[in-house]
Formats: sequence, structure tokens, C-alpha cells
Amino acid sequence: MNTMRLISHSAGMMNRHKLRTGFMMIGSVIGVAALTLVVSVGLAAERKILKLAHEMFGESSLMIMDGGGHMMGGPRNPGTRLKIDDLEAIAKQVPEVESWDPQQGLTASARRGDLADTAQVLGESERSEHVWGRSAVQGAYFDGASVKSSERVALIGQTVVNRLFRNEEPMGAEIQIGSVPFRVVGILEPWGTDPHGMDKDNEIVVPISTLMRRLTNADTITGAKLLVAPSAQQDQMVKPIETILRERHGIAANQPNDFSILTATEVQKVMASIKRILTFYLPMVAAISLLAGGIVSASLMVASVNERAGEIGLRRAVGARTEDIRLQFLIETAATTVVGGIAGILLGYVLARMGATKMHLGPVAPWNAALLGIAASILVGLAAGLLPARRAARMSPVDALR
Amino acid sequence: MIELNGITKTYTRPGEESVNALMDVSLQIDEGEFVAIVGSSGSGKSTLMNILGLLDLPSAGSYRLRGQDTAGLTAGAQAHLRNKRIGFVFQTFHLLPRTSALENVELPLLYSDRTSIRDLGRKALESVGLGDRISHRPSELSGGQQQRVAIARALVNEPDLLLADEPTGNLDRRSANEVMAIFQGLNNSGRTIVLVTHDAEIANHSRRIARIERGRIVADERVMDPKIALQEAL
Repeated sequence: MNTMRLISHSAGMMNRHKLRTGFMMIGSVIGVAALTLVVSVGLAAERKILKLAHEMFGESSLMIMDGGGHMMGGPRNPGTRLKIDDLEAIAKQVPEVESWDPQQGLTASARRGDLADTAQVLGESERSEHVWGRSAVQGAYFDGASVKSSERVALIGQTVVNRLFRNEEPMGAEIQIGSVPFRVVGILEPWGTDPHGMDKDNEIVVPISTLMRRLTNADTITGAKLLVAPSAQQDQMVKPIETILRERHGIAANQPNDFSILTATEVQKVMASIKRILTFYLPMVAAISLLAGGIVSASLMVASVNERAGEIGLRRAVGARTEDIRLQFLIETAATTVVGGIAGILLGYVLARMGATKMHLGPVAPWNAALLGIAASILVGLAAGLLPARRAARMSPVDALR
Repeated sequence: MIELNGITKTYTRPGEESVNALMDVSLQIDEGEFVAIVGSSGSGKSTLMNILGLLDLPSAGSYRLRGQDTAGLTAGAQAHLRNKRIGFVFQTFHLLPRTSALENVELPLLYSDRTSIRDLGRKALESVGLGDRISHRPSELSGGQQQRVAIARALVNEPDLLLADEPTGNLDRRSANEVMAIFQGLNNSGRTIVLVTHDAEIANHSRRIARIERGRIVADERVMDPKIALQEAL
């Protein structure tokens, strides 16, 4: 018995029963496409989120945000009471705080002549570059003197450059934020899109004093990022900071905080749960759809074995051994799901690329997903073929020929 | 070539009385014979055919094929014998649908240990007069042509024993005649043929008729003057 001959013969048989083969394939096409899509988008999203989290948070930083409640949704207490003085007090009393940068922002229109853009305007201190790790690709950040004197200077992101300047030189030019004129002193390092889909390059950074006095007319800030000495145990710093803020805000012992403190540990917890969803639960759902496809293949194949009893009997009569029959049905089932699986990988990859482009996730590397898809479809095919193949091989030739 | 000694085949179905399809059948068929086994339906002739073709095992008795006791053969060895030594022809042809005549004929080669199978299928089809129909599908062929494809399939591995179970049962007179002419030609060139039929006129084309009734052989005689099927159609 020549196995290659049998394989090519089986392929011919599948080709002659296009409808049945097609239905058997659909299951594995959909299942593997879902698996490929979920796994490759998941990997790209994970990479992107990790990168952004690292960019924004690093390993040795801590965030204080205005309002109580919890990270990732949940109600926050109203009232904005966080002030720059609070942060100055913390920096003075907690020695591990190496540097800090307050933040206050608003969405405002930016204009230059006829060209306009709605941008996120952020007020920051002269320590912003160091604390956030975002440099200026042209020009430079404003210094402490500019912050002290509330100078009307701005650094603008690449999107703002594109919208307001087209091909003209932005450095030194004047733009209007709201109705206040600012001078462009630098261009921000491109940061792309954040996990919420916000364009980080559609931002304008101005001194926080200027923002508070000229644009928002407020004396509170929305939050601050603190850099701590790498050796400092962040979780142990939470308590003293909390004490300082509660005291300064005059919060009674039985009242909740009117601020939140976010540490790397907490961010890691959130990251881990996102990672679990991306790399476990979603692929699991895809695997279940593949399993359903496998069951469809198996049942179609069992029906086909019954329908082809005469053929099986004849094959036995002309010299097929039981193992030849078993092999043939196994090959037929596995070949179908594998071909379907390959189609599924292509389909899933195309969908993943479309999705990743839409979500600005960057390039999608399909190889992990493709390998997984091929392996899964071979496995499902063999498992789905086992029962029908056994049934076919066990048929008595006399009964099958009747 | 074939030696049956005291073959009995008993079917037992749960809840029913057991049925003796064959009882103490002894039969010897020599190389080059053309034997018709004749009987009404239910007489046990198909059971006998299945045992001769190693598709079924007797409940008792011995079957020697070319001097070899078949009782000691493994399933694999039986399959090998069916593939190499025995050609089957069935009443309902059993051709694979949507598959060309040539591929149908080549089916036994799939399970053979031959290294080269070139041209064997085409030559077999030519030998039954269907050299011009090799790429036709069964649905594009007449009943007689389909049965000739099935005969070519039985011949493709050049077996020395041909077993035919009611090969003309689904054919009209003319096609039946064609099939019998092929059998007579094959027998003249030395092949052993065992034919099961209920049709006395078909049986008269053979050289020997064994009559079977209720599982027993009741008559076994030479045909003095076999009817000659004309080869006009070929």
C-alpha cells in the first residue's frame, strides 16, 4: 500500500464531494480565523499597552489624582481640591520623591490664521520633560523662570504642527489657544495613540501657571506624577502621602479620600487582568468556536461513512485492509480541516490587520497565530476524524456491500 | 484451486433462532473452470460467494485456496489475497460516483504493492472494449458499460480467480450477453470463473452448474454444450 497514492486519492474524493467538503471546511475556517484574529490582535494590543504603560508610568513613578474612588471606572467624589501647594508639601516631607510634575488640562481650539485644530492643552511644570520622559524633537521645554512668570510659550505635538502649519516653519510662530496668543518654542516627541484611542500628538504643552491663570482660571490641578527614587518601596510611600493630603484637606477620620494614589503595583494588577483577557479568555472563545467546527466536521463525516457503506465494502473487496480504510477517512477529515485552517489563517490575518490599523495597534505579526492555527486545525481534524474512521474500519464488508 | 470441505455458515441474531445459511457444503473447483452456482434467493449462494471471496468466514469446515488453508490467514493476508488473486463483480456494479472509468478501474491498484501501475487501468478497460470511455463517469455510461468497467476493475490486478455475484441481474438481454461473452473469453484464456445466478439461461453459458437449495448443494453437473455468447458488441 502506497500512502502517497492514498493521500492523493483521498484528495480526489474530497474534491468530488465539494458541498460536503465545503461545509466541513467552513467550521475550521471560522474557528481558525477567530483564533488568528484574536491571538494576533491580542499580542499587538498587549505590546502596545505595555509600551505605553512603560512610557507613561515607568517603574519608579506614582500618580496622585484628584477625586477619590477607583482606577478603571467607579464613581469619583466631586470637587477638585488638589493644589500645587499639596504637592510641594509632599515633596518636602517625603524624601523619596525625587521629582514631580503637576498636570491640568483642557480641550481647546488652537488657531493660526485660517487654520484651526481642537487640541488637548496640558499645563505642566518645567520638570515635565524629565518626569514624563517626553522630549522635544525641536526647540526645548520652557524653564522654571517661564513657569514662574506665566509666559505664553507652548510646545506642540506633530498633529498640531500638521494641522496648523502644513509646510511652514512652526518654531517661533504665534498660535492662539482660545483667545490667548502663545509662541511656539518646541515640538513634542511623537507618541502616537494611547489605549483609549487618544492622539497623544494632538497635544499642546504650556506652563501650568499660564494655563491656570489665562485659560482655565482655576487654582486646582487634576493630578500629578511623582518620580520616586528607584529603591523606594512605593507601597510604603502611599501611607505618608495619604496622611499629608488628608490633613491638608481636613478630611475627618470616617470620610473617604478625595484623591487617589496610583502605584506601579496597581497598574501591574490592571495590566495583568488585561493580559489575561487578551491571551487567555479571548483565545478560549475562539477555541470553542473551533471545537464547534470540529464537531460539525465529525458529524458530517459520520453521515458520510454511512452513506458510503457500499464504497467501503467495495474497497475491502478489492484489497483494502481495515487500517487503509481508517487512514483514508482520517486523511479526508484532517485534510479538510487543515485546508480550512489555512484559509482561516489568511482570513484572520486580513481581519487582524484591518482591526489593528483601525485601533492604531501597529504591525501585526501573524506567525504565532498561524502556527497555533495550523496546529489547532490538525488536532481538531484528527480528533474529528477518529470516530468516523473507526466506524468505517469496523464495517463488515459483507454488510457494507449489501 | 478451490477446495471447500464441510462448510457450514450459521447466522445468529439476538432474540431469533439461528439460521443455517450453508450446511456441510463441499465443493472442488479446478483451475480454468467456469462454474455457475445456481439457486433461488435465500438459498445461500451469496453466502457461499462471500466465503469464496474471503469476505466472510465459515462457522465450520475448511476452505483451501490454491492448497493453502485460509483459516490460518491474518486479516491483512486475506486482504492481500483479495487484492491480488481474486476479482469481484457485483450485481450493482459498485462504481464510485463522479469518478472516471479509469480511476474506478485503478482502485484495486491503490491497495496493491506494485511499484508501477502505469497503463494497467487503460489496458484493462481496452480489454473489455471501453478503451474510448476512460474518462467517462459512471453516470455517463449505460448499465452494460458500467458493468464492463467493473469487470475491468476486477481484472486490473490480473487475478486468476473471478467471482461474479449476479453480474447480469441489473442488465438487459443485450448487455447481459456482452458480459457473458467477456466471461467466456476470459475463461478461454485460462481464468477460473465462479458465477452466482438465479437465471438458468445465464448459467448455461458456463461449463458446470452447481445447484444450491436451502444451504446445501443438491446437484453438480457438467454443461455438455455451453451456450456461446456472441462477441458482436465488442
